[in-house]
Amino acid sequence: MAEFEPVLTANVHKPDSHTLRVYRESGGYTALKKVLDGMSSAEVVDAVKASNLRGRGGAGFPCGLKWSFLPKDHPGPVYMCVNADESEPGTFNNRLLMEDDPHQVIEGIIIGCYATRAQTAYIYLRYEYPTSYNRLQAAIDECYANNLLGKNILGSEFSLDIYLHRGAAAYICGEETGLIESLEGKRAWPRIKPPFPAIEGAFRKPTVVNNIETMACVPHIINRGADWFKSMGVPSTGPRDAGSYGPKLYCLSGHIEKPGIYEAPLGITCRELIEKFGGGVWKGRKGKAAIPGGISMGLLTEAEWDTPLDFAGPGKAGCLGLGTAAVVVLDETVSMVDFLHNSCRFFAHESCGQCTPCREGTSWSERILARIKAGKGRLKDLELILNISASIGIMPGTTICGLADGAAWPMKNAVNKFRAEFEEYIKRTNPSGYAQEDAVEALELVGLGVH
Amino acid sequence: MATIIIDGQEIEIDDNERLNVIQAADRAGVAIPFYCWHPGLSVVASCRMCLVETGTKNKETGKIDMVPKLVPACQTPAKDGTVVVTNSDKVKAKQQFVQEGLLLDHPVDCPICDQAGECWLQDYYFNYGHQQRRADVRPFTSQRRDLGEHVTLFVDRCVMCSRCVRFTREISGGGELQVVNRGSHAEIDIFPGFPLDDKLSGNVNDLCPVGALCSKDFLYEQRTWFLEPHNSVCTRCSTGCSIQQHVNQNHLYRIQPRYNPNANDWWMCDIGRNENDHVHAPERLTSIKRRGDGGWEDLLWPQGLMAIHETLIATAKEQGGAKLAFVLSPFLTCEEAFLLASYARELAPETWLVLGKVPVTGEDEVFKSGFTIRAERCPNRKGIEEILKHFGGNTCDWAGLLTKVDSGELAAAYITGDYPDPWIDDAEAARFEKLAWLIVHDILPTPLARRARFVIPGACSAEKDGCYVNHAGLLQATEWGVRPPEGSHVDGQTFGDLLGRKGLYQAAAVIRELAHAVPFFARAAEGVPEAGLNLVTGTEQQPRTTALGTVTHPLPTFRSMAAPFLEVESTT
Amino acid sequence: MSSATANAPASSGPVLTPQMRAEIEAFLPRYPTKQAVTLPALHVVNAHLRCVPMAAIPEIAEILDLSPAQVYDTLSFYGFFKPEPCGTVRAWVCRSISCALRGGEEVLAALSGKLGVEPGGTTPDGKITLEFGECLGLCDFAPAMLAGDRVYKNLSVEQVDEVAGALQQQADEKPG
Repeated sequence: MAEFEPVLTANVHKPDSHTLRVYRESGGYTALKKVLDGMSSAEVVDAVKASNLRGRGGAGFPCGLKWSFLPKDHPGPVYMCVNADESEPGTFNNRLLMEDDPHQVIEGIIIGCYATRAQTAYIYLRYEYPTSYNRLQAAIDECYANNLLGKNILGSEFSLDIYLHRGAAAYICGEETGLIESLEGKRAWPRIKPPFPAIEGAFRKPTVVNNIETMACVPHIINRGADWFKSMGVPSTGPRDAGSYGPKLYCLSGHIEKPGIYEAPLGITCRELIEKFGGGVWKGRKGKAAIPGGISMGLLTEAEWDTPLDFAGPGKAGCLGLGTAAVVVLDETVSMVDFLHNSCRFFAHESCGQCTPCREGTSWSERILARIKAGKGRLKDLELILNISASIGIMPGTTICGLADGAAWPMKNAVNKFRAEFEEYIKRTNPSGYAQEDAVEALELVGLGVH
Repeated sequence: MATIIIDGQEIEIDDNERLNVIQAADRAGVAIPFYCWHPGLSVVASCRMCLVETGTKNKETGKIDMVPKLVPACQTPAKDGTVVVTNSDKVKAKQQFVQEGLLLDHPVDCPICDQAGECWLQDYYFNYGHQQRRADVRPFTSQRRDLGEHVTLFVDRCVMCSRCVRFTREISGGGELQVVNRGSHAEIDIFPGFPLDDKLSGNVNDLCPVGALCSKDFLYEQRTWFLEPHNSVCTRCSTGCSIQQHVNQNHLYRIQPRYNPNANDWWMCDIGRNENDHVHAPERLTSIKRRGDGGWEDLLWPQGLMAIHETLIATAKEQGGAKLAFVLSPFLTCEEAFLLASYARELAPETWLVLGKVPVTGEDEVFKSGFTIRAERCPNRKGIEEILKHFGGNTCDWAGLLTKVDSGELAAAYITGDYPDPWIDDAEAARFEKLAWLIVHDILPTPLARRARFVIPGACSAEKDGCYVNHAGLLQATEWGVRPPEGSHVDGQTFGDLLGRKGLYQAAAVIRELAHAVPFFARAAEGVPEAGLNLVTGTEQQPRTTALGTVTHPLPTFRSMAAPFLEVESTT
Repeated sequence: MSSATANAPASSGPVLTPQMRAEIEAFLPRYPTKQAVTLPALHVVNAHLRCVPMAAIPEIAEILDLSPAQVYDTLSFYGFFKPEPCGTVRAWVCRSISCALRGGEEVLAALSGKLGVEPGGTTPDGKITLEFGECLGLCDFAPAMLAGDRVYKNLSVEQVDEVAGALQQQADEKPG
């Protein structure tokens, strides 16, 4: 780790790092100049493709490949949507980038729009990030004032407008087509695919949706090349593996000595992140489990903490994937029942309600967990939870979007990996009723707000 | 031709057909359950009930590759080589799960719910659901929410298929319905002060696959399993929507639209749907009456028709045929008009044949999808016109008739009405007092009937077999659903009797006669298919009949295996 | 909730001031459709009035060529917009996993007790609305609270009096 030089967080500790002046002093906008002076859109796409940059928003889809899906001869307009909705529990790295190095992000967006021939970019920003809003808007204003946005950027033929579009506190707006629907002014019900956004996206025009951190990588790839980017991370193991290249911002929170954001090449293990970067489990306690990449990804037991946090690692340990690389640590005192209740409550609150398995499955699982937590659980409930979690999601094909998979994975991991604890809790708190098989009374869920 | 394989069965579809897997399976006799899909609305694939396994078959090698995850059949196009499996354990497990999800919080209102008997939740529960409830039980009541003049919502019965919201946004264009809240708290609602009051509101009640949206006009009136369907045609405007009358024990309880791509797609307006008081109105005319010096007397049918016939013959003989006018109401069927016109010209070749008064209200009302409520509020002006054209000679319209009446050129008039609404006011009716002999053949009392010498009770459209020609030239056959009130005869019977024909009136025979006699109607010689015949353009869509079931909207489901239905081509 | 016989929301005059209208209309050139201005319009009204009154909906709908139901459909999807004014300061205490692990739910309960309001409610003096939030992206400062533009970091039950006081002060600082 000593040899690793921060890339994305190189400037965040400098005073006034969010200003154009400081960004330029650090070499900012040279990549943009390089692109406008001598690269075609196709060449920029190829450069990003060659780097195997994978999306950092949760899905890990290769960015250059996504850009190449845009139809070549479409009359346009083409839109870029930048996903700054960052709402995955445990995740806050986009916040750091937007607050403390917004120009890095903006430069990436401008280059990305040049590559995709988008002339309008919308940054969909969650409402709960007011500082990010102010800093981004100020940076955008600086760009307009300095011929970095607007008409004929840096004297070239390329023109671009970037607009900030504020969300209103809904997790599902971080889903690609949910974001698009919300941008269009409707309720954020994700769309069925096909058609894919590259063909018919925002306002039914070709659209790419990219994450903030992904965009922040782009100027560096242009400046230093694909080979440099691929010198970091975990190499591809074969033709079906896109590898895990480049620097990554890892978020660390929960029962950790030093919560924060730590930049490292993709592929450090969960234990390394916790112990070498985070100062270890807090208060001298033992670790019990950790969320590997935002709560949707599920849980790694402490024994599984040597799992590498790259795009392939967590999946091998039974988690959903790397997700947002947001690690949340649970120490030995955490009740898994509490954990799972918190998770189910979150997803029930955030489910958009459009498709039956997610709408009903998340609300049902919340009720089951509330009942278990309140001492009215049954052993049979564990089978129910596993059945529900196996039945909802885009992986079995039963839902329109991946929120349901995110709801399912904590259920699967918690119950499978900590089964004994759940059974013990149920038997202890419901000694007279834990063996019942038939349907039981639900509890009223009060005091949880409007939704 | 494209070959699709459904549960091992191969079916062929034409290259130019655009079907999804639900429709392709329907053709193979395989039912795929669904809630949110509707061929006339955008595809959302949100209910997830139609999930199936799909794959492709390589034509050369014969190898079948199945996709590991399930896909909704409604959003999967049926292409050459598509392989579909609907009955595997995987599919069944997911159907059960979706069914269970919908029933989690569904109030068990069946005993008090209108939809029972045609409820898709009920049907799919029996076919695809779990038998025992696994979920925790919550007691709750279904709250009722008023959405408009004809639409009421039982909020908790809703399955969030969003058909109703899509209808108001895509078809009627009023956008009155919305989803409020998020997740499992989502509900259907209107915005206060902006109720669902446009003239297409009733369609959302049809679209709702469960008992959430209910027709206020039908609420608690009749259990659906007692209803018999009769394929008829709406007569309230010249669009001529294809409809079904739902009847029990000779009472018309409900009207719903039938799919017809040539006339109305899947929809109908609230006027035709709800304004049917005339059918069972107690004031219906029920006997032939003659007005003499001593007042009104009832006549028996043979007696009455004979008296009328003799009056008309005598007038024709003594004063000439041109002194007689026969008014063919645009509410008569083509067959009835043909018989009456034949009778008139048999009496004397110079009798006047008059196109009856054509009621016009305002302008054509065009909705977002193109569905139109026409200003011309009658079903058969075009049919009558064509018949008059064929007979030729002395013909005119209602305005022409009034001129003749005022000028004293006429001695007698036989005026048919059958209008569902009041169609003539006192002032206009008074002009007919000049006539020596006024015969009014109608269904309800009017100022004109009051001034008649003879009144003949007619039948309304709910009681008639026959054909109408709509504004665009589409000839459609309507079936009677209820019998006319005791004492009345259908008009076709009356005119046949006047012509001296023996036996019961059979519209099917008369349309063939008409087809042979009048070139405009020639295509009807072999009968009239369910979606009609366009006699102007010579071409129309003929949706295929399949063995299985309709994919349009809820109909009494116990019939779904028994009756032939129209298959529907997707509009997308 | 609604009823077909319910009247349109009452108001003694338009809810949207010329200033609000101008701010909403300024968004129109940014998007190819008017409907896309729905969220920005709701935020404009919310910023001015600390809520979006029902009576504002038909006015917004008219500017955007939408039916009121289409605007309200979008509004109600987000729990964010309230029909009645929120307090001068709107404080969200996070209840998602990172904050919950470090005592966030206890902080919310304590603050709720101290202020005398249930989550979702506003103090009687109209100064503070207390809500629960789902992951606010402040996990490095868990348990965290976002009040207006200000982030409150590393909260604990012991600090509840202090925090309540700070919120009061923040409310007093704000004009109107």
